[in-house]
Formats: sequence, structure tokens, C-alpha cells
Amino acid sequence: MKSRNLILTILGIAALLLFPVGIHNPYYIHLLETIMIYAIVLFGLDIVVGYTGQVSLGHAGLFGIGAYTAGVLVFKLAAPLWITLPAAVLLTAGFGALLALPALRVSGPYLAMVTLAFGTIIQILINEMSFLTEGPLGIKLEKPSMFGHKLDEREFYWLVVVLTVLSCVVVHRILRSHLGRAFEALRGSPVASDCMGVSVYRYKVYAFVISAGFAGLAGSLYAYSEQYISPNSYNNELTVLFLLAVIMGGRKSRIGSMVGAAIIVLLPKLLDDIEMFRYVSVGLAILVAVVAVLGIQKGRTTWKQMAIPVAGSIALAVLSFTLKTMTDWRLSIFGVIMLFVVYYLQDGIVGFVRSALNLKRAKAEGEVAGVAFKGADALSTTTAGSGGEILKATGVLMQFGGLKALNNVDLSIRRGTIHGLIGPNGSGKSTMMNVLTGIYVPTAGEINFAGRSVVGRTSSDIALSGIARTFQNVQLFGEMTALQNVQVGLHHTFASNLLDVSLHTPRYLRESTAATQRGLGLLKFVGLEDLAFEEARNLPYGKQRLLEIARALALDPQLLLLDEPAAGLTAPDIKELISFIRKIREHGVTVILIEHHMDVVMSMCDTVSVLDFGQKISEGLPAQVQADEKVIEAYLGGTAT
Amino acid sequence: MLQIKNLVAGYGKVQVLHGISIHVPKGKVVTLIGSNGAGKTTTMRAISGMIAPTSGEISLNGTRVEGKESYDIAKLGLAHSPEGRRVFATMTVNDNLILGAFPRLTGSRPKGDVAGDLERALDLFPRLKERRLQLAGTLSGGEQQMLAMARAVMLNPDVVLLDEPSMGLAPILVAEVFRIIARLKSEGVTMLLVEQFAAAALAVADYGYVLENGRISVHGPATQLRDDPAVKAAYLGGSGSH
Repeated sequence: MKSRNLILTILGIAALLLFPVGIHNPYYIHLLETIMIYAIVLFGLDIVVGYTGQVSLGHAGLFGIGAYTAGVLVFKLAAPLWITLPAAVLLTAGFGALLALPALRVSGPYLAMVTLAFGTIIQILINEMSFLTEGPLGIKLEKPSMFGHKLDEREFYWLVVVLTVLSCVVVHRILRSHLGRAFEALRGSPVASDCMGVSVYRYKVYAFVISAGFAGLAGSLYAYSEQYISPNSYNNELTVLFLLAVIMGGRKSRIGSMVGAAIIVLLPKLLDDIEMFRYVSVGLAILVAVVAVLGIQKGRTTWKQMAIPVAGSIALAVLSFTLKTMTDWRLSIFGVIMLFVVYYLQDGIVGFVRSALNLKRAKAEGEVAGVAFKGADALSTTTAGSGGEILKATGVLMQFGGLKALNNVDLSIRRGTIHGLIGPNGSGKSTMMNVLTGIYVPTAGEINFAGRSVVGRTSSDIALSGIARTFQNVQLFGEMTALQNVQVGLHHTFASNLLDVSLHTPRYLRESTAATQRGLGLLKFVGLEDLAFEEARNLPYGKQRLLEIARALALDPQLLLLDEPAAGLTAPDIKELISFIRKIREHGVTVILIEHHMDVVMSMCDTVSVLDFGQKISEGLPAQVQADEKVIEAYLGGTAT
Repeated sequence: MLQIKNLVAGYGKVQVLHGISIHVPKGKVVTLIGSNGAGKTTTMRAISGMIAPTSGEISLNGTRVEGKESYDIAKLGLAHSPEGRRVFATMTVNDNLILGAFPRLTGSRPKGDVAGDLERALDLFPRLKERRLQLAGTLSGGEQQMLAMARAVMLNPDVVLLDEPSMGLAPILVAEVFRIIARLKSEGVTMLLVEQFAAAALAVADYGYVLENGRISVHGPATQLRDDPAVKAAYLGGSGSH
């Protein structure tokens, strides 16, 4: 499988390189060049849209900044290629950081509006700043020179091929690395990302910056390719086309980006001519029918689901033969095809073909093959000063409006113990967890962890200093595999930077292998090693909870906060849970346990604190607490044992 | 009332249920017991149409419902109180409950006395009554669980599916939930119950099925399962009971 892919890739690149040798028509060479340039933009846009799950309608603006950086440098300073390309990448990346700022505050439709405004402002600025950009007149430039030799149409084409392939490899490597996992984690659950030490703030900016860098590269190549740039080229229509291309081609896929780029470049051209349109529509109808038949044969879909797409594509083919001219219909048909694809192929063309032909998504399995975890267990042992106090909270007050969710709570946790936190629903236990992990900043009070105050620090900072947690309502990264979820927890073990990742330096390869080994080891520890490559959202609820614990342990925490780990578990699973929480403690990890299963609390905890209405009503040894009248009345009830 | 024959279902390529048959007679409480990943929640989701079964029959009051959409199955009289609550967080408790009666208000189920049922539901859950104008998202986990149950009852359903109603609840509320289930049973509500506290579930149920790796391994009257040594050892052991 792997070698087949390699051969296909080499054949594809060879075909691209040989294209202008066989075909001399500059029109076709230029067309293919444009597709590749758009593909570079889409590789980058897919990072933002597909992986971090943010919408950006500002990428045409970024593309324009790249184009004008090259254009202005050539026009004003006659700068050579080796200056203009890097300058375009860097400057556009800087603007990418600017575009990321709103993304830190808003999301969804609001972000779409803000990024759209960004694109519009860029276009207007280019138009107005005539002293630099020549305004609406535009800038003319020639094909660049390399090593004193002016590139002709074909040679420039080859340069674009090389840069496209390089971009593809680099983007692919970034997305397969810990950086890519961080981006995807943001989409899955921002709260959990922060609590795994992956700062949402930082990685959102990274994603936009990297994405913008590629838009800048593509923009500068576009300027040389067109040999003329004007502000009107970088309008809102282009930005919408980019977004459509990512969605149509298939997000989270490099092939999808290429397919998307080909569609937005070729489809309008094909629709220019009625003859061409007839070929295209018949071809499309046949393709849809074949995929439908294959899909039904493999039991992936039903006649009912496929009836409308098949009928629609056939209707389009019939329509193509009844039309006499294309001019009036061109845009409408383009729109209908777009709608059709977006509506029916929600995973994009690549996703659709993959599922209809039952191809597995290129999984990380292949890369992981041969890597196995060796050793007794993957837990790190913390030995730092056993005994003594690891966490001390004094007078913690957490006020939401008039409601005091926590009212002057003191908590003292001794190192190496299991500390139970119980209380009625709504008594403030989960609020306490959120205060300890920096999700809430307490209204008043002091919290010291390992000698340092926690108050006012960010969640990711607190997580990296050694507090890991699980969530009452499971917060996994749903589209990522179990192994990848744990690897997000291992993010802190990577020192590799963007360069290491792009070049696969020995440092990155070493860290990556180590993270895979530890990830598998941690999954083994919680008994999920057989499900390592299953997407987290497909795991049963109880197993999702175990996966959360494995992910939290990946942080090598000194203090582990477990929020109702036994909820939804049946008796045999609970026994297993108890045994491995004990094992966690044996490794020197201190545990705070919120739990409603009294047998779990009573059999494991060294100390138990009881909250009610945001106040601590009892504390002591499990047996003492269990016998406390106040606790029985508020929490245990008469029937509990 | 609810009859399931040879149900096969799963997610994507993963098959979870390998042909299970369950019968829930009118006015009875039937419980489904099994460890994590055995397929209990998948069974519930297939019955209420949240996933389409691969094969098998599900009939509700003699009407075949497999493969139908959830909202159509709800109109036929099936209410689902899902695992993990899923209340409408930005709406009030009142509005959540009225939405539970939605098919009755649009005329696709007999209307009856919606306002009266709302009061009865709130009487059943006094904690919700105190908070009837509060947004559901601001309720504690336990209160949300009660809201999900109350919302299911508001459909005036023929069958209620309760998926882990006691999950995440304080012991004092767990006892409360089982009292409410017993009370609904005495009012003649037909229920299919999935519960982590197998012993308590068998105490309130009439009949039980044990699910192992997507197949029914044992089934029988609840009293008989309680005394079955194998069931006892695997699911009713010291831990988990309350």
C-alpha cells in the first residue's frame, strides 16, 4: 500500500514536470501553473479551516499581500527572486498574526464577518496606497531571473512545480506532527487543549501565521505568473472560491486541496464552451453513477440516498444537450454544480470517494508500525519531596453574579495521597476543579501549588507546571484517534520547532518515536491498547473516560484531578478503575477524586472533604465523614452504605 | 409494546450489536445490563432512530420503526432520555419541558392536558420546580439529569428509554431517581432502562437482559437474574450497588 502510494506520487510529479515538454501551448501551461499556485494557498487554508476549524474569508487578502510584496519589491527595487519570495512569505505571515487576533475572541459567523472585513480592507488599502502600489493601475512585472538567467514560461512552470511539491511535503509534515495535533485539538475541545498544556491562544496564532505564509508564497508566484497585478484580482469572490475549494475537495486532505484548486480554476473555463460543457456533464454523470453503484455494492450507501445525486447529474447532462449557447447559463450552472457538491458531498470529493470505495483514511497506523512500547508501564514516577503539602487553597471565593459557587473554601492536599471531594450535585466540586486548573479565576482567595500561586495564570501554564485533569462531561478530541489524543497530552515532550518538523531532523524523529511509544504505553496502562487507532468519538462512554485519564497522565502530572471517573461504569469496570488509580498513586502522583460512588471513595481515599452549597461542611478520614450527621443529611441519604 | 428482533447495528465499519432480540411488554419495566462497550447505549440509539440499524426489526405498537428518523419515532410514542443529559442549555426548565411535549402541540400526538402534565412533571421533580425559570445550562449535573427524564415523560409516551439516569448523581439523588422510576412504573409507564447500578435496576424492573459483546447472553425475570450466580458475580458484585 505504502509503496503503491509512493509510485503514484512519483508518477504524478513526473507527469507535472514533463507536461510542458509534451504540450507547448502556453495557455495550458499557465492554466496548470495557476492550479498549483492555488493549491499552495489551499494547503495553507486547510490548516485553518480543516484542522483548527476556524473560518477564514481573509485569505484572498493575504494572497494579495503576497502578490504585492513581490510586485512592489520588483517594481521599486528590482529585487531578485531570492529576496521577493521569502519577503512575501514573511510579511504575509505577519499579517496572518494580525488576522488571528479576532479569531482569539470570536468564532463561527462572527469570525467569518471579521475576516471578510480584513480581506476587503486589504483590497481597499492596495487600491488607495498609490505611492507604493500604483493603485488601480496595477503593476507590470516580468518573469524572474535565477543565477543571472531570465526564466522563460516553461522554466518558471518548473519552479512552481518544485515549490508546490515542497509546500505539500512541508504542510503534510507539519500536520502529521505534534503541531498538527495541537491544531486539531483546538477544534475538538479548546478547554481540554489548554488543560493539556497546549495553549489555544498560541496555537491559533501559529495556525494562522503558517497558513498565511503559504498564501504569501502563492501570491508572489501568482504575481510572476500573471506578470501583472491589480487590486481587483484579490476580491471577495476569490476568497469565497478558496473556501469552497477546500470544502469541495475535502478538508484535512492534501489531495483534496489539489482537487479543489483544479475545480475552481478549470470549471469556469470548461463552462465557457458548450461542447466542453457537454463532455463535462456526461463525464460527471458517469462518474456519479459508477461511484453510486460501487458504493451500493459495498453496502456503504443505499439507492434511496443515491437517487437524487444520480438523477441530478443525469438531468444536468440532458440539459447540456438542449442548450444552444452557454453565455447566459454559465454562472447559474457553475453555482448549481457548487451547491450540489457542497450539499451532497459534505466530506468533499476526496472524502466521498474514500467512503464509497471503502478506502481507509491514510491512518497513522502505517507510521507507527514497528513501534511498540517496551517496559513495565509508561507512567513517570515523580519523587519530588514526598510527604508535605502539595496544594493549599485558602479562603477561595468564586462568585457568579449573586451566586457564591464557592464560599471561603480551604483545602489542603498532602503529597502522595488520594483526596476525595464529595458533595451533592451543584455543591461546587466541579467549580473547585475549574478554579484549580485556571479555567475560572477565583473572586478572592489564594491557591498555592508546589510553592507557587496558581491564581491568574493560564490553564496551559498551570497544566505544564504539573496539574492534569479529566472532565465531568468528557472533553476528548473526537475526530482524533485514541493514540493521538494521548499524544496531545505528550505535547510538552516536544522541543522541535517548525524547522525540525519540516526537515524531519533527528531531534524531531527521536521525539516523535518516543511520543508514540509512550502513547501506546499509556493506552496499555488503561487497557485501551487495542483501540489505539479508533477515533475517540467512536469509543463507548466508559472507555472515553479511561482515555481521558490516559491523556491526563501523559502530562506527567504531580497532581491529577479526576472528575467522576466512575460515572457510567459498571461494577467490573469500577474494580479495574480502582486498581489503576491505586497504581497511579504508587507512582507518587497525588490524586484529587470527585466521585459519587461511595464504595470507590471510601475504599481509596486517605482524606475526604465534603462540600455543600459552596462551603466545606466536613473533612476527615473516610469513616469519620461517612458517620457525620451533616453529610448523611445533605448527601448520603438514609439508604447509602 | 416494543419488540426488537435480531437487531444488528454499529458505527461506520464497527459492528457493535450482533443480532439481539428484546421484548418490552406494555406497562412493564425491562432493564438492559452489561459492561462498558457491550452495546447498551447503541441499542437505545438504534431504537430511537439516532443511528440506522444495519438489519433487524424494531416495532413499536406493531408499527415497524427501524430506519425511520428520530422525530418520526418520537411521534409514534417513544421518548428517549439520552446518556449524558443533552438538555437545551440556553432555554429555561419550563421551555425544555414544553419542548418535550412538542409533538402533542403540533397535533402529531394526542394533545391531552399539556399544562397539567407540566405541573405533574414538576411535582414529580421538586428540585426542578424550584428552578423552573432558570436556564437549563445553569443547573447542576444532577438537576439536568432529572430534567432529561422529566422532558421524556412530557411526550406522554408509550415507551420511555432511560439511558443511565443515575449517572453522575449524588447517592441521595440516586435513591430519588429510583423512587421516581418506581412511581412512573406504578402509573403504568412502559420503560426500557439502562443503569450502572445493576442491582437497583433489577430491583425495580420486571424483566432483564444481559448484554455481552453485542449479544444477549442471559435473560429472564428480574428476580431470577438477581439470584443467577453468574450475573451476580459479574454485575452485582460489591461495588456499584448503593
